[in-house]
Amino acid sequence: MTEDHREIERTAAAWLAQRDAGGWSDCRQNALDAWLAESTAHRVAFLRLEAAWEETARLRTFAAGDASARMPARGEWSRSPYFASPIDGGHAAARHGRASPARRRRSRWQVLAGIAATLLIVVAIAGAFAWRDYAHVERGAWRTTPGVQQVVQLPDGSAATLGGDTVLRMTFSHSGRDLELAQGEVFFDVAHDTARPFVVRVNGYRVTAVGTRFDVRRGTDKLRVVVTRGLVRLQSARDPAAAATMLPAGSIATVTGGDVLVQHIPLDEARERLGWRDGYAVFHGTPLAEAIEEFNRYNARKIVIADPSLDALRVGGHFRLDNSAAFVRLMQAVFPIQAEQRGDRIVLSRRGAAKAAN
Amino acid sequence: MGEPTDTWFVREILAHEQALMRFLHRNWRDHDEVGDLRQEIYVRVYEAAMRQPPDSPKSFLFATARNLLADRVRRQRIVSITAVGDLEQLNVLQDELEPARWLGGREALARLARALDRLPRRCREVVWLRRVEDLPQREIARRLGISEKTVEKHIAKGTRMMADHFYGGSEAGAKRDETQKTHARIRKTT
Repeated sequence: MTEDHREIERTAAAWLAQRDAGGWSDCRQNALDAWLAESTAHRVAFLRLEAAWEETARLRTFAAGDASARMPARGEWSRSPYFASPIDGGHAAARHGRASPARRRRSRWQVLAGIAATLLIVVAIAGAFAWRDYAHVERGAWRTTPGVQQVVQLPDGSAATLGGDTVLRMTFSHSGRDLELAQGEVFFDVAHDTARPFVVRVNGYRVTAVGTRFDVRRGTDKLRVVVTRGLVRLQSARDPAAAATMLPAGSIATVTGGDVLVQHIPLDEARERLGWRDGYAVFHGTPLAEAIEEFNRYNARKIVIADPSLDALRVGGHFRLDNSAAFVRLMQAVFPIQAEQRGDRIVLSRRGAAKAAN
Repeated sequence: MGEPTDTWFVREILAHEQALMRFLHRNWRDHDEVGDLRQEIYVRVYEAAMRQPPDSPKSFLFATARNLLADRVRRQRIVSITAVGDLEQLNVLQDELEPARWLGGREALARLARALDRLPRRCREVVWLRRVEDLPQREIARRLGISEKTVEKHIAKGTRMMADHFYGGSEAGAKRDETQKTHARIRKTT
Protein backbone atom coordinates (compact mmCIF):
# COMPACT_ATOMS: atom_id res chain seq x y z
CA MET A 1 0.00 0.00 0.00
CA THR A 2 2.19 2.78 -1.21
CA GLU A 3 -0.46 5.14 -2.52
CA ASP A 4 -1.06 8.12 -0.25
CA HIS A 5 -4.47 7.92 1.39
CA ARG A 6 -5.09 11.64 0.91
CA GLU A 7 -4.60 11.34 -2.81
CA ILE A 8 -7.00 8.42 -3.03
CA GLU A 9 -9.55 10.22 -0.90
CA ARG A 10 -9.39 13.32 -3.06
CA THR A 11 -9.99 11.26 -6.18
CA ALA A 12 -12.86 9.35 -4.54
CA ALA A 13 -14.46 12.61 -3.40
CA ALA A 14 -14.12 14.09 -6.88
CA TRP A 15 -15.94 11.07 -8.32
CA LEU A 16 -18.74 11.39 -5.80
CA ALA A 17 -19.17 15.11 -6.38
CA GLN A 18 -19.18 14.63 -10.12
CA ARG A 19 -21.76 11.84 -9.95
CA ASP A 20 -23.85 14.05 -7.67
CA ALA A 21 -23.75 16.91 -10.18
CA GLY A 22 -26.15 15.15 -12.55
CA GLY A 23 -25.64 14.39 -16.24
CA TRP A 24 -24.00 11.12 -15.20
CA SER A 25 -23.48 8.78 -18.15
CA ASP A 26 -22.81 5.06 -18.55
CA CYS A 27 -19.41 6.00 -19.81
CA ARG A 28 -18.60 7.87 -16.58
CA GLN A 29 -19.99 4.99 -14.54
CA ASN A 30 -17.70 2.57 -16.39
CA ALA A 31 -14.74 4.80 -15.70
CA LEU A 32 -15.68 4.95 -12.02
CA ASP A 33 -16.13 1.17 -11.88
CA ALA A 34 -12.70 0.74 -13.42
CA TRP A 35 -11.14 3.06 -10.86
CA LEU A 36 -12.86 1.21 -8.02
CA ALA A 37 -11.71 -2.14 -9.35
CA GLU A 38 -8.11 -0.94 -9.53
CA SER A 39 -7.47 -1.49 -5.84
CA THR A 40 -9.28 -2.22 -2.61
CA ALA A 41 -7.87 1.02 -1.23
CA HIS A 42 -9.89 2.92 -3.84
CA ARG A 43 -12.98 0.94 -3.03
CA VAL A 44 -12.89 1.37 0.74
CA ALA A 45 -12.14 5.08 0.43
CA PHE A 46 -15.07 5.55 -1.91
CA LEU A 47 -17.41 3.48 0.28
CA ARG A 48 -16.48 5.48 3.32
CA LEU A 49 -17.11 8.84 1.66
CA GLU A 50 -20.28 7.63 -0.01
CA ALA A 51 -21.63 6.40 3.32
CA ALA A 52 -20.80 9.71 5.01
CA TRP A 53 -22.50 11.60 2.20
CA GLU A 54 -25.61 9.43 2.55
CA GLU A 55 -25.59 9.94 6.30
CA THR A 56 -25.46 13.70 5.88
CA ALA A 57 -28.96 13.63 4.41
CA ARG A 58 -30.20 12.68 7.85
CA LEU A 59 -29.72 16.26 8.92
CA ARG A 60 -33.11 16.66 7.26
CA THR A 61 -34.51 15.65 10.61
CA PHE A 62 -33.95 19.19 11.67
CA ALA A 63 -36.06 20.39 8.79
CA ALA A 64 -38.65 17.60 8.92
CA GLY A 65 -42.09 19.05 9.29
CA ASP A 66 -40.72 22.50 9.96
CA ALA A 67 -42.11 25.00 7.47
CA SER A 68 -39.58 27.67 8.35
CA ALA A 69 -36.64 25.36 7.78
CA ARG A 70 -33.48 27.27 7.05
CA MET A 71 -29.87 26.63 7.73
CA PRO A 72 -29.15 26.86 11.45
CA ALA A 73 -26.21 28.99 12.53
CA ARG A 74 -23.20 27.14 13.85
CA GLY A 75 -23.90 25.67 17.26
CA GLU A 76 -27.56 26.57 17.05
CA TRP A 77 -28.45 22.89 16.86
CA SER A 78 -28.46 22.64 20.62
CA ARG A 79 -31.78 24.41 20.69
CA SER A 80 -33.38 21.75 18.52
CA PRO A 81 -35.70 19.35 20.36
CA TYR A 82 -33.46 16.49 19.23
CA PHE A 83 -30.75 17.82 21.44
CA ALA A 84 -32.98 18.19 24.47
CA SER A 85 -31.10 15.54 26.43
CA PRO A 86 -27.37 15.82 26.91
CA ILE A 87 -25.59 13.98 24.16
CA ASP A 88 -22.20 13.64 25.71
CA GLY A 89 -20.03 15.43 28.18
CA GLY A 90 -17.70 16.93 25.61
CA HIS A 91 -20.48 18.48 23.66
CA ALA A 92 -22.16 19.92 26.73
CA ALA A 93 -18.96 21.74 27.54
CA ALA A 94 -18.69 23.03 23.99
CA ARG A 95 -22.24 24.32 24.23
CA HIS A 96 -21.38 26.18 27.37
CA GLY A 97 -18.64 28.04 25.62
CA ARG A 98 -21.05 29.26 22.97
CA ALA A 99 -23.68 30.40 25.42
CA SER A 100 -23.04 34.11 25.28
CA PRO A 101 -23.35 34.72 21.51
CA ALA A 102 -26.50 32.59 21.62
CA ARG A 103 -28.02 34.87 24.22
CA ARG A 104 -27.13 37.95 22.21
CA ARG A 105 -28.83 36.41 19.23
CA ARG A 106 -31.94 35.73 21.26
CA SER A 107 -32.34 39.31 22.43
CA ARG A 108 -32.08 40.49 18.84
CA TRP A 109 -34.72 37.88 18.09
CA GLN A 110 -37.03 39.40 20.66
CA VAL A 111 -36.83 42.76 18.94
CA LEU A 112 -37.51 41.13 15.62
CA ALA A 113 -40.41 39.25 17.13
CA GLY A 114 -41.96 42.56 18.23
CA ILE A 115 -41.73 43.97 14.71
CA ALA A 116 -43.05 40.74 13.32
CA ALA A 117 -46.05 40.85 15.64
CA THR A 118 -46.96 44.34 14.45
CA LEU A 119 -46.58 43.33 10.85
CA LEU A 120 -48.66 40.27 11.50
CA ILE A 121 -51.68 42.36 12.43
CA VAL A 122 -51.42 44.31 9.17
CA VAL A 123 -50.95 41.13 7.20
CA ALA A 124 -53.87 39.48 8.98
CA ILE A 125 -56.28 42.20 7.84
CA ALA A 126 -55.07 42.02 4.25
CA GLY A 127 -54.95 38.30 4.45
CA ALA A 128 -58.55 37.93 5.49
CA PHE A 129 -59.58 38.89 1.99
CA ALA A 130 -57.26 36.44 0.36
CA TRP A 131 -58.25 33.76 2.81
CA ARG A 132 -60.76 31.96 0.68
CA ASP A 133 -58.21 31.32 -2.07
CA TYR A 134 -55.54 30.51 0.42
CA ALA A 135 -57.64 27.98 2.26
CA HIS A 136 -58.15 25.93 -0.87
CA VAL A 137 -58.03 22.26 0.04
CA GLU A 138 -57.69 19.30 -2.27
CA ARG A 139 -59.35 16.10 -1.18
CA GLY A 140 -59.35 12.60 -2.52
CA ALA A 141 -60.00 9.03 -1.50
CA TRP A 142 -59.03 5.72 -3.07
CA ARG A 143 -60.05 2.15 -2.40
CA THR A 144 -58.54 -0.96 -3.96
CA THR A 145 -60.11 -4.40 -4.06
CA PRO A 146 -58.18 -7.42 -2.83
CA GLY A 147 -55.49 -8.48 -5.25
CA VAL A 148 -55.47 -5.23 -7.17
CA GLN A 149 -52.65 -2.73 -6.96
CA GLN A 150 -53.02 0.88 -7.96
CA VAL A 151 -50.50 3.66 -8.42
CA VAL A 152 -51.96 7.07 -7.57
CA GLN A 153 -50.26 10.32 -8.59
CA LEU A 154 -50.91 12.86 -5.86
CA PRO A 155 -51.34 16.56 -6.72
CA ASP A 156 -47.95 17.50 -5.24
CA GLY A 157 -46.05 15.12 -7.50
CA SER A 158 -45.72 12.35 -4.92
CA ALA A 159 -46.72 8.84 -5.88
CA ALA A 160 -48.61 6.35 -3.74
CA THR A 161 -48.64 2.66 -4.63
CA LEU A 162 -51.68 1.10 -3.00
CA GLY A 163 -51.62 -2.59 -2.18
CA GLY A 164 -54.74 -4.71 -2.41
CA ASP A 165 -57.67 -4.09 -0.07
CA THR A 166 -56.46 -0.64 0.88
CA VAL A 167 -58.26 2.60 1.73
CA LEU A 168 -56.38 5.90 1.53
CA ARG A 169 -57.77 9.41 2.05
CA MET A 170 -56.05 12.66 1.18
CA THR A 171 -56.40 16.25 2.41
CA PHE A 172 -53.84 18.61 0.89
CA SER A 173 -53.77 22.27 1.81
CA HIS A 174 -51.27 25.11 1.53
CA SER A 175 -49.81 24.21 4.89
CA GLY A 176 -49.66 20.48 4.86
CA ARG A 177 -50.12 17.21 3.07
CA ASP A 178 -52.29 14.93 5.17
CA LEU A 179 -53.09 11.37 4.34
CA GLU A 180 -55.01 8.80 6.26
CA LEU A 181 -54.41 5.12 5.81
CA ALA A 182 -57.70 3.57 6.91
CA GLN A 183 -56.66 0.04 6.00
CA GLY A 184 -54.13 -1.90 3.98
CA GLU A 185 -50.68 -0.89 2.80
CA VAL A 186 -49.22 1.95 0.75
CA PHE A 187 -45.74 2.69 -0.52
CA PHE A 188 -45.04 6.42 -0.78
CA ASP A 189 -42.49 8.14 -2.98
CA VAL A 190 -42.68 11.64 -1.55
CA ALA A 191 -42.01 14.78 -3.55
CA HIS A 192 -39.75 17.20 -1.74
CA ASP A 193 -41.52 20.18 -0.21
CA THR A 194 -40.23 21.42 3.14
CA ALA A 195 -43.04 23.97 3.39
CA ARG A 196 -45.70 21.30 3.48
CA PRO A 197 -44.97 18.33 5.72
CA PHE A 198 -46.11 15.01 4.36
CA VAL A 199 -47.98 13.24 7.14
CA VAL A 200 -49.63 9.83 7.09
CA ARG A 201 -52.03 9.22 9.94
CA VAL A 202 -52.52 5.59 10.79
CA ASN A 203 -53.71 3.70 13.87
CA GLY A 204 -53.24 6.70 16.13
CA TYR A 205 -49.74 7.43 14.82
CA ARG A 206 -48.33 10.16 12.63
CA VAL A 207 -45.66 9.23 10.11
CA THR A 208 -43.94 12.37 8.79
CA ALA A 209 -41.60 12.47 5.82
CA VAL A 210 -39.45 14.84 3.83
CA GLY A 211 -38.34 13.72 0.34
CA THR A 212 -38.52 10.09 1.20
CA ARG A 213 -39.58 6.62 0.16
CA PHE A 214 -41.39 4.60 2.73
CA ASP A 215 -44.10 2.05 3.20
CA VAL A 216 -46.90 2.01 5.77
CA ARG A 217 -48.97 -1.04 6.50
CA ARG A 218 -51.95 -1.16 8.77
CA GLY A 219 -52.66 -4.63 10.16
CA THR A 220 -55.52 -5.61 12.41
CA ASP A 221 -53.78 -4.62 15.61
CA LYS A 222 -50.45 -3.40 14.41
CA LEU A 223 -48.67 -0.95 12.22
CA ARG A 224 -45.49 -1.33 10.22
CA VAL A 225 -43.34 1.34 8.59
CA VAL A 226 -40.46 0.47 6.24
CA VAL A 227 -38.15 3.28 5.09
CA THR A 228 -36.07 2.76 1.95
CA ARG A 229 -34.81 6.30 1.44
CA GLY A 230 -34.42 9.50 3.41
CA LEU A 231 -35.82 9.89 6.86
CA VAL A 232 -39.21 9.46 8.47
CA ARG A 233 -40.53 10.59 11.81
CA LEU A 234 -42.94 8.32 13.65
CA GLN A 235 -44.96 9.86 16.42
CA SER A 236 -47.97 8.94 18.47
CA ALA A 237 -50.92 11.16 17.57
CA ARG A 238 -52.76 10.30 20.76
CA ASP A 239 -49.90 11.22 23.04
CA PRO A 240 -48.14 14.27 21.66
CA ALA A 241 -45.77 14.31 24.62
CA ALA A 242 -44.34 10.93 23.66
CA ALA A 243 -40.94 11.13 21.99
CA ALA A 244 -40.84 10.83 18.22
CA THR A 245 -38.92 7.95 16.71
CA MET A 246 -36.64 8.87 13.82
CA LEU A 247 -36.43 6.23 11.13
CA PRO A 248 -33.55 6.54 8.66
CA ALA A 249 -33.45 4.50 5.46
CA GLY A 250 -33.16 0.81 6.24
CA SER A 251 -35.43 0.96 9.29
CA ILE A 252 -38.44 -1.16 9.95
CA ALA A 253 -40.67 0.04 12.76
CA THR A 254 -43.37 -2.23 14.12
CA VAL A 255 -45.97 -0.83 16.46
CA THR A 256 -48.02 -3.25 18.55
CA GLY A 257 -50.09 -1.96 21.43
CA GLY A 258 -48.22 1.22 22.38
CA ASP A 259 -44.83 -0.33 21.77
CA VAL A 260 -42.56 0.73 18.96
CA LEU A 261 -39.87 -1.70 17.89
CA VAL A 262 -37.27 -0.45 15.41
CA GLN A 263 -34.93 -2.71 13.46
CA HIS A 264 -32.11 -1.45 11.30
CA ILE A 265 -31.46 -3.73 8.37
CA PRO A 266 -29.47 -3.42 5.14
CA LEU A 267 -31.26 -1.39 2.49
CA ASP A 268 -31.49 -4.34 0.11
CA GLU A 269 -33.30 -6.31 2.74
CA ALA A 270 -35.65 -3.41 3.44
CA ARG A 271 -36.52 -3.20 -0.24
CA GLU A 272 -37.06 -6.95 -0.27
CA ARG A 273 -39.74 -6.54 2.38
CA LEU A 274 -41.62 -4.41 -0.10
CA GLY A 275 -41.74 -7.16 -2.70
CA TRP A 276 -45.52 -6.87 -2.86
CA ARG A 277 -45.13 -4.03 -5.34
CA ASP A 278 -43.68 -6.50 -7.82
CA GLY A 279 -46.26 -9.12 -6.96
CA TYR A 280 -44.28 -11.35 -4.66
CA ALA A 281 -43.85 -11.80 -0.95
CA VAL A 282 -40.64 -12.56 0.88
CA PHE A 283 -40.87 -14.32 4.22
CA HIS A 284 -38.07 -14.93 6.70
CA GLY A 285 -39.34 -17.03 9.57
CA THR A 286 -42.70 -15.29 9.32
CA PRO A 287 -45.58 -16.75 11.37
CA LEU A 288 -48.01 -18.59 9.10
CA ALA A 289 -50.91 -16.40 10.19
CA GLU A 290 -49.03 -13.31 9.09
CA ALA A 291 -48.03 -14.84 5.75
CA ILE A 292 -51.64 -15.76 5.10
CA GLU A 293 -52.78 -12.25 5.93
CA GLU A 294 -50.43 -11.12 3.18
CA PHE A 295 -51.90 -13.53 0.63
CA ASN A 296 -55.44 -12.65 1.57
CA ARG A 297 -54.78 -9.04 0.81
CA TYR A 298 -54.08 -9.99 -2.80
CA ASN A 299 -56.56 -12.75 -3.44
CA ALA A 300 -60.33 -12.86 -3.56
CA ARG A 301 -60.21 -16.47 -2.42
CA LYS A 302 -59.29 -16.21 1.23
CA ILE A 303 -57.21 -18.67 3.17
CA VAL A 304 -58.52 -19.35 6.66
CA ILE A 305 -56.75 -21.14 9.49
CA ALA A 306 -59.21 -23.35 11.33
CA ASP A 307 -56.75 -24.61 13.92
CA PRO A 308 -55.10 -21.81 15.93
CA SER A 309 -52.16 -24.07 16.77
CA LEU A 310 -51.04 -23.61 13.15
CA ASP A 311 -50.70 -19.84 13.54
CA ALA A 312 -47.24 -20.04 14.95
CA LEU A 313 -45.65 -22.20 12.23
CA ARG A 314 -42.81 -20.30 10.61
CA VAL A 315 -42.60 -19.77 6.87
CA GLY A 316 -39.68 -18.66 4.70
CA GLY A 317 -39.09 -18.08 1.00
CA HIS A 318 -40.23 -16.10 -2.04
CA PHE A 319 -43.80 -16.56 -3.23
CA ARG A 320 -45.92 -15.10 -5.99
CA LEU A 321 -48.77 -13.33 -4.27
CA ASP A 322 -51.25 -14.11 -7.03
CA ASN A 323 -50.65 -17.82 -6.70
CA SER A 324 -52.02 -18.72 -3.29
CA ALA A 325 -52.82 -22.22 -4.55
CA ALA A 326 -49.10 -22.92 -4.95
CA PHE A 327 -48.45 -21.55 -1.49
CA VAL A 328 -51.14 -23.78 0.02
CA ARG A 329 -49.77 -26.83 -1.81
CA LEU A 330 -46.32 -26.14 -0.46
CA MET A 331 -47.63 -25.69 3.07
CA GLN A 332 -49.32 -29.07 2.81
CA ALA A 333 -46.11 -30.65 1.64
CA VAL A 334 -43.89 -29.35 4.43
CA PHE A 335 -46.24 -28.99 7.38
CA PRO A 336 -48.82 -31.28 8.95
CA ILE A 337 -51.54 -29.25 7.27
CA GLN A 338 -54.50 -30.22 5.18
CA ALA A 339 -56.35 -27.79 2.97
CA GLU A 340 -59.98 -27.96 2.07
CA GLN A 341 -61.92 -25.94 -0.45
CA ARG A 342 -65.14 -24.53 1.07
CA GLY A 343 -66.96 -22.13 -1.23
CA ASP A 344 -64.63 -19.21 -1.85
CA ARG A 345 -62.43 -20.11 1.07
CA ILE A 346 -59.50 -22.41 1.57
CA VAL A 347 -59.58 -23.80 5.09
CA LEU A 348 -56.37 -25.05 6.68
CA SER A 349 -56.49 -27.51 9.53
CA ARG A 350 -54.04 -29.83 11.23
CA ARG A 351 -53.71 -33.13 9.46
CA GLY A 352 -55.42 -35.85 11.50
CA ALA A 353 -53.33 -38.37 13.41
CA ALA A 354 -54.52 -41.20 11.15
CA LYS A 355 -53.58 -39.25 8.04
CA ALA A 356 -50.23 -38.23 9.41
CA ALA A 357 -49.39 -41.89 9.84
CA ASN A 358 -50.05 -42.55 6.16
CA MET B 1 -22.48 -0.50 -4.64
CA GLY B 2 -24.57 -3.59 -4.23
CA GLU B 3 -21.82 -5.89 -2.98
CA PRO B 4 -22.65 -7.54 0.35
CA THR B 5 -19.13 -6.81 1.59
CA ASP B 6 -19.70 -3.11 0.87
CA THR B 7 -22.80 -2.98 3.04
CA TRP B 8 -21.10 -5.03 5.71
CA PHE B 9 -18.08 -2.73 5.69
CA VAL B 10 -20.14 0.44 6.00
CA ARG B 11 -22.33 -0.92 8.76
CA GLU B 12 -19.94 -3.00 10.85
CA ILE B 13 -16.56 -1.34 10.37
CA LEU B 14 -17.01 2.38 9.82
CA ALA B 15 -19.01 2.60 13.03
CA HIS B 16 -15.79 1.90 14.93
CA GLU B 17 -13.65 4.47 13.16
CA GLN B 18 -13.59 6.85 16.09
CA ALA B 19 -12.31 4.13 18.40
CA LEU B 20 -9.84 3.01 15.77
CA MET B 21 -8.48 6.52 15.29
CA ARG B 22 -8.13 6.95 19.02
CA PHE B 23 -6.26 3.68 19.17
CA LEU B 24 -3.94 4.64 16.32
CA HIS B 25 -3.23 8.08 17.72
CA ARG B 26 -2.43 6.60 21.07
CA ASN B 27 -0.20 3.89 19.73
CA TRP B 28 1.58 5.41 16.80
CA ARG B 29 4.18 8.06 17.21
CA ASP B 30 3.97 9.66 13.83
CA HIS B 31 0.48 11.13 13.59
CA ASP B 32 0.93 12.01 9.94
CA GLU B 33 0.93 8.33 9.16
CA VAL B 34 -2.33 7.57 10.92
CA GLY B 35 -4.45 8.20 7.83
CA ASP B 36 -2.40 5.77 5.79
CA LEU B 37 -2.53 3.21 8.56
CA ARG B 38 -6.30 3.52 8.71
CA GLN B 39 -6.52 3.00 4.98
CA GLU B 40 -4.34 -0.07 5.05
CA ILE B 41 -6.30 -1.55 7.95
CA TYR B 42 -9.53 -1.01 6.02
CA VAL B 43 -8.05 -2.67 2.96
CA ARG B 44 -6.95 -5.71 4.95
CA VAL B 45 -10.31 -5.98 6.72
CA TYR B 46 -12.28 -5.57 3.51
CA GLU B 47 -10.23 -8.15 1.64
CA ALA B 48 -10.49 -10.65 4.48
CA ALA B 49 -14.25 -10.11 4.68
CA MET B 50 -14.63 -10.79 0.96
CA ARG B 51 -13.26 -14.26 1.56
CA GLN B 52 -15.07 -14.82 4.84
CA PRO B 53 -16.85 -12.18 6.95
CA PRO B 54 -15.51 -12.38 10.50
CA ASP B 55 -17.88 -13.30 13.33
CA SER B 56 -16.97 -10.34 15.43
CA PRO B 57 -16.19 -7.40 13.12
CA LYS B 58 -14.98 -5.16 15.90
CA SER B 59 -12.45 -7.56 17.40
CA PHE B 60 -11.31 -8.41 13.91
CA LEU B 61 -10.80 -4.75 13.08
CA PHE B 62 -8.67 -4.18 16.16
CA ALA B 63 -6.76 -7.41 15.73
CA THR B 64 -5.92 -6.26 12.21
CA ALA B 65 -4.87 -2.86 13.51
CA ARG B 66 -2.66 -4.45 16.14
CA ASN B 67 -1.04 -6.77 13.61
CA LEU B 68 -0.38 -3.94 11.23
CA LEU B 69 1.27 -1.83 13.90
CA ALA B 70 3.34 -4.81 14.98
CA ASP B 71 4.44 -5.35 11.36
CA ARG B 72 5.40 -1.74 11.03
CA VAL B 73 7.27 -1.75 14.29
CA ARG B 74 9.17 -4.82 13.18
CA ARG B 75 9.98 -3.24 9.85
CA GLN B 76 11.16 -0.03 11.43
CA ARG B 77 13.17 -1.91 14.02
CA ILE B 78 12.08 0.78 16.40
CA VAL B 79 9.65 0.16 19.13
CA SER B 80 7.74 2.47 21.36
CA ILE B 81 7.42 1.35 24.94
CA THR B 82 3.94 2.67 25.39
CA ALA B 83 2.87 1.13 22.13
CA VAL B 84 3.80 -2.34 23.22
CA GLY B 85 1.98 -1.87 26.49
CA ASP B 86 -1.20 -0.63 24.87
CA LEU B 87 -1.21 -3.15 22.10
CA GLU B 88 -1.80 -5.86 24.59
CA GLN B 89 -4.84 -4.36 26.20
CA LEU B 90 -7.59 -3.38 23.88
CA ASN B 91 -10.44 -3.72 26.33
CA VAL B 92 -10.39 0.04 26.70
CA LEU B 93 -12.81 0.02 23.84
CA GLN B 94 -15.65 -1.80 25.49
CA ASP B 95 -17.59 1.33 26.28
CA GLU B 96 -18.11 2.00 22.58
CA LEU B 97 -21.63 1.84 21.24
CA GLU B 98 -22.82 -1.06 19.15
CA PRO B 99 -23.07 -0.23 15.41
CA ALA B 100 -26.87 -0.32 15.25
CA ARG B 101 -27.17 2.09 18.13
CA TRP B 102 -24.30 4.17 16.89
CA LEU B 103 -25.75 4.60 13.43
CA GLY B 104 -29.38 4.87 14.33
CA GLY B 105 -29.68 7.08 17.33
CA ARG B 106 -29.69 10.64 18.38
CA GLU B 107 -25.96 10.42 19.02
CA ALA B 108 -25.43 9.97 15.29
CA LEU B 109 -27.53 13.04 14.51
CA ALA B 110 -25.58 15.07 17.01
CA ARG B 111 -22.32 13.92 15.44
CA LEU B 112 -23.61 14.91 12.03
CA ALA B 113 -24.62 18.34 13.25
CA ARG B 114 -21.22 18.84 14.86
CA ALA B 115 -19.46 17.58 11.75
CA LEU B 116 -21.40 20.04 9.60
CA ASP B 117 -20.54 22.87 11.96
CA ARG B 118 -16.86 22.22 11.42
CA LEU B 119 -17.00 22.83 7.68
CA PRO B 120 -15.84 26.18 6.30
CA ARG B 121 -18.71 28.64 5.83
CA ARG B 122 -19.32 28.27 2.06
CA CYS B 123 -18.76 24.56 2.10
CA ARG B 124 -21.23 24.18 4.96
CA GLU B 125 -23.80 26.19 3.07
CA VAL B 126 -23.39 24.10 -0.08
CA VAL B 127 -23.65 20.80 1.81
CA TRP B 128 -26.77 22.02 3.61
CA LEU B 129 -28.50 23.12 0.41
CA ARG B 130 -27.60 19.89 -1.37
CA ARG B 131 -28.30 17.36 1.37
CA VAL B 132 -31.02 18.95 3.46
CA GLU B 133 -32.87 21.15 1.01
CA ASP B 134 -32.15 18.69 -1.77
CA LEU B 135 -31.37 21.38 -4.36
CA PRO B 136 -29.47 20.24 -7.48
CA GLN B 137 -25.87 21.45 -7.79
CA ARG B 138 -26.83 23.71 -10.68
CA GLU B 139 -29.49 25.46 -8.61
CA ILE B 140 -27.06 25.92 -5.72
CA ALA B 141 -24.57 27.55 -8.08
CA ARG B 142 -27.26 29.91 -9.33
CA ARG B 143 -28.45 30.79 -5.87
CA LEU B 144 -25.01 31.46 -4.41
CA GLY B 145 -23.72 33.12 -7.58
CA ILE B 146 -20.77 30.76 -7.96
CA SER B 147 -19.81 28.40 -10.78
CA GLU B 148 -21.06 24.82 -10.92
CA LYS B 149 -17.48 23.63 -10.86
CA THR B 150 -16.97 25.44 -7.55
CA VAL B 151 -20.09 23.84 -6.11
CA GLU B 152 -18.75 20.45 -7.14
CA LYS B 153 -15.46 21.24 -5.41
CA HIS B 154 -17.23 22.27 -2.21
CA ILE B 155 -19.16 19.03 -2.29
CA ALA B 156 -16.02 16.95 -2.76
CA LYS B 157 -14.34 18.75 0.11
CA GLY B 158 -17.46 18.65 2.26
CA THR B 159 -17.80 14.91 1.78
CA ARG B 160 -14.25 14.30 2.93
CA MET B 161 -14.57 16.53 5.96
CA MET B 162 -17.94 15.10 6.91
CA ALA B 163 -16.48 11.58 6.74
CA ASP B 164 -13.51 12.54 8.92
CA HIS B 165 -15.60 14.25 11.54
CA PHE B 166 -18.58 11.94 11.47
CA TYR B 167 -16.71 8.64 11.45
CA GLY B 168 -13.39 9.70 12.84
CA GLY B 169 -14.84 11.84 15.58
CA SER B 170 -13.56 15.05 17.05
CA GLU B 171 -10.11 13.93 18.02
CA ALA B 172 -9.27 12.55 14.59
CA GLY B 173 -6.13 14.36 13.62
CA ALA B 174 -6.82 17.21 15.98
CA LYS B 175 -5.60 16.49 19.48
CA ARG B 176 -2.61 14.51 20.36
CA ASP B 177 -2.62 12.21 23.25
CA GLU B 178 -0.66 13.46 26.22
CA THR B 179 1.13 10.18 26.56
CA GLN B 180 2.75 10.76 23.20
CA LYS B 181 5.09 13.29 24.71
CA THR B 182 6.50 10.77 27.10
CA HIS B 183 7.11 8.18 24.42
CA ALA B 184 10.53 6.75 24.40
CA ARG B 185 12.13 4.97 21.53
CA ILE B 186 14.55 2.19 21.88
CA ARG B 187 16.42 0.34 19.19
CA LYS B 188 15.83 -3.32 18.96
CA THR B 189 18.99 -5.25 19.36
CA THR B 190 18.05 -7.88 16.81
